[in-house]
Amino acid sequence: MLDFNKKSTIIVLFFFLFFKRLSIMTFLNIQDIELKIESKTLLKRQNFELRKGKNLLILGPSGSGKTTLLNIMAGLLKPSSGDVVFQEKKYSILSESEIDSIRAKSFGFIFQKIHLLKHLSIKQNILLATNNKFSKNITELTSKLDISDKLDEKAMNISMGEAQRVAIARGLANNPEIVFADEPTSSLDDDNTRNFLDLIFSLTNENDSSLVVCTHDKRIIKSFDNILELTI
Amino acid sequence: MNDFTFVFYSIRARILNCFLSIFLISFGVSLAIIIIQFGNNISNRINADGKNIDLVVGAKGSPLQLVLSSIYHVDIPNGNIPFAKAQKIMGHPQIKNAIPLALGDNWKGYRIVGTSFDYLELYDAKIESGRLWNKEFEIVAGASIEIDLNSEIIGSHGLTSSAISHENEKYKVVGFLERTGTVLDRLLLTDVNSVLEIHGHKKIEVSHEIEGHETHEEGHDEHHENKIESDKNHHHEHSGHNKQYDSQHNIDKDSASEITALIIQTKSPLANINLPNLINKDSELLVANPAMEIVRLSAILGFGSNSLGIISLVLIIISILSIFTGLAGNLESRMSDLAILRALGYTKFRIFKILSLEGTLLVIFGLILGLVFGIGGLKVLTEFINPLNETKIEFQLEVKTLYVLLTVFFSGFLASLIPAYKNSKLSVANQLSGNI
Repeated sequence: MLDFNKKSTIIVLFFFLFFKRLSIMTFLNIQDIELKIESKTLLKRQNFELRKGKNLLILGPSGSGKTTLLNIMAGLLKPSSGDVVFQEKKYSILSESEIDSIRAKSFGFIFQKIHLLKHLSIKQNILLATNNKFSKNITELTSKLDISDKLDEKAMNISMGEAQRVAIARGLANNPEIVFADEPTSSLDDDNTRNFLDLIFSLTNENDSSLVVCTHDKRIIKSFDNILELTI
Repeated sequence: MNDFTFVFYSIRARILNCFLSIFLISFGVSLAIIIIQFGNNISNRINADGKNIDLVVGAKGSPLQLVLSSIYHVDIPNGNIPFAKAQKIMGHPQIKNAIPLALGDNWKGYRIVGTSFDYLELYDAKIESGRLWNKEFEIVAGASIEIDLNSEIIGSHGLTSSAISHENEKYKVVGFLERTGTVLDRLLLTDVNSVLEIHGHKKIEVSHEIEGHETHEEGHDEHHENKIESDKNHHHEHSGHNKQYDSQHNIDKDSASEITALIIQTKSPLANINLPNLINKDSELLVANPAMEIVRLSAILGFGSNSLGIISLVLIIISILSIFTGLAGNLESRMSDLAILRALGYTKFRIFKILSLEGTLLVIFGLILGLVFGIGGLKVLTEFINPLNETKIEFQLEVKTLYVLLTVFFSGFLASLIPAYKNSKLSVANQLSGNI
C-alpha cells in the first residue's frame, strides 16, 4: 500500500507530464484571431490548434486572408483581436524582438516568388537564415536538394528550379519547428508540384517540423493532415 | 553571414552609386584640406616672416608695397632712400635694432638681398654648410635654393628673372643656411655693399653695432654677439678674420649712397606710434607698420580664401546629401530584401545597424580617399606648380583639419541614420504580400 504522500506525488507527476505533453502537442494555438483595418475585415475570426510535427493547409480564394493569417501566425503582423500562442508564449505579451527571436530560431519561410538576394551567393543566401553557421546538417540538406555544387554561384545566375530548391534549403536551414510556405506551388505544373511536395514533406518529417502552407491550389489538399478553409 | 560581410556585398552590388558618394565626399574633403593647409601655411609664413619686425622704412609710396617688398620679398620696392637719412633714423634712441636692405637683382627669380648679419639674426638663421660672407660678392643661399657651393652666379637686374644681367660682376656662393621656414629660405644674401657697388652706389660701412646702439640693453648685446660669434668662428675656420665684419661702430655717411629699406625693431610699443609720425614728415621717407598692413592684406585675401572655403563646404554638403540620397534612393529596390531579412528573424535594430553601417563605411572610405587626395594634391601643387613650389608646404594634421574630418564623419553618419531608421520601420507583412 502506498501512503498518502507517495500517492499525491504520483498524481502531481502524472498531471505535470500530461499537461507538459499536451502543451508540446499543441504548440501553435490560434485563439480568436481577427484582423480589421478601419471598417474593412481582412481576416474573419479564426481558431485553430496545430500539433508538433503535423501539417496545415490554409485554403481559400484570393482575398480570403490566407497570407494574412500566415503572417499573423509567423508574428509578422499583429491581429486586431485574439492571440497566437507558440510553445506557451503569447505573442501579445512578447516584445517585437522576442518574436523576431522566435522567428529566427523556430520558423522557416518559403515564399511564392522565392526571393533570393541576387547579389549574394547561394551559400550566403542560405546562411542568412542560420546566423552564419554552415553546419553539417546544411551540407546534408544542400546535398539532398542537389545544390551542393552551386553554393558559390550568385543567386542571379541559377535556374528557377535551382532557385526554388535554394529557397527550400533556406527555409529549413535553421532546423525550424514550423515551416511557413506561401503559395509555393502556384507557378508549378503537376509534376513539379508533386516533386516539391514530396521533397518538402520528406525534409520536414526528417526534422519533425510542422508545415503550414497557404494556397488556393486544390491539387495539394490530399497531402495534408489539417485543412483550414477560409472564405471571403 | 555577419553584418559586415552583408554590407560589403551590398555596397559591391551598387558600386557605381557608392563610388559616386565616396568620390563626392573625397573631393569635398580634399579641397577643404588643401585650402586649410594653404591657409595655415600662408598664415604661419606671414607670422614667421614678420616676426620681431616692428616697422619698415622705405621710399614714399604704398605702405603695403613697402612691407611686401621688404619683409616678404613678393613685390617691387617703392624706390630707394638716401642712406644718410636712414642712418639718422638708425641712431634714434627709441630704436633697438635697424637692418639695412639693398635690393635690385635676382638670380633665377631668387632675390639677391644686400644686408648685414643682423638680418640673419632676426630669423635665427644658422649656417648649414660653408660659411658666412666675409667680403663683397660672396653670397649665402637660403635652404630652398638649389645651387652648388663655390659656384659663381650672375645677378639679373630687377626682382624677377630678366634678360639684363650684371655680366661684369659675379657672386660666389660661400655658404648655405639651415631651413628656417621663413622668407630667408628663398633669398640669396650678401653684403649690402655688393648690391650698392653693382648698381654704382658708393659703399657704406656696416657693422653689427649701429649708431645709437650703445643704449642697447646689456642682455641684448650679449645675445647679439653670441649669435654672430658662432657664425664668425665658423668663417674664421675657413678664411680667417676680417676686421670689416668685427664690431666696428660707424657707417660711412656718404650722401650718394642709397639703400632700399630699413627694417626696424623698436624698444617699446609706444615707439611704433611715435616713430611713424616723426619719419613720415620727411618727404622722401615712408614708415609702414607690418602688423597693420598684414591685417589689411588678410582682409583682401580673406575674401578669396573664404570663397574657396565656401566651395569646399558646399561640396562636402553635396557629398553628405549623396550618402543620404544613395541610401534613401535605394529604399524601394531594397525594401523586399530587407523584408526577407526581417522575416528570417533579423530585428529592426539589426536592419538599422546594417544600413547605418553601410552609410558610415561610405563616409569612412570617402574620408580616407579625401585625405589621400588632399595630401597628394597638396604635394602635387607644391612640387609642380610655380610659385607654389617655393612655399615647400607639407601636410600637417592640426585642429582645423581634424575638425573638418570629424564634422564630415558625423554629418555623414547622421545622414545615413535617417534612411536606416526609415528602412528598419518597414511593414514586413505588407512588403512580403506585395512581392509574393
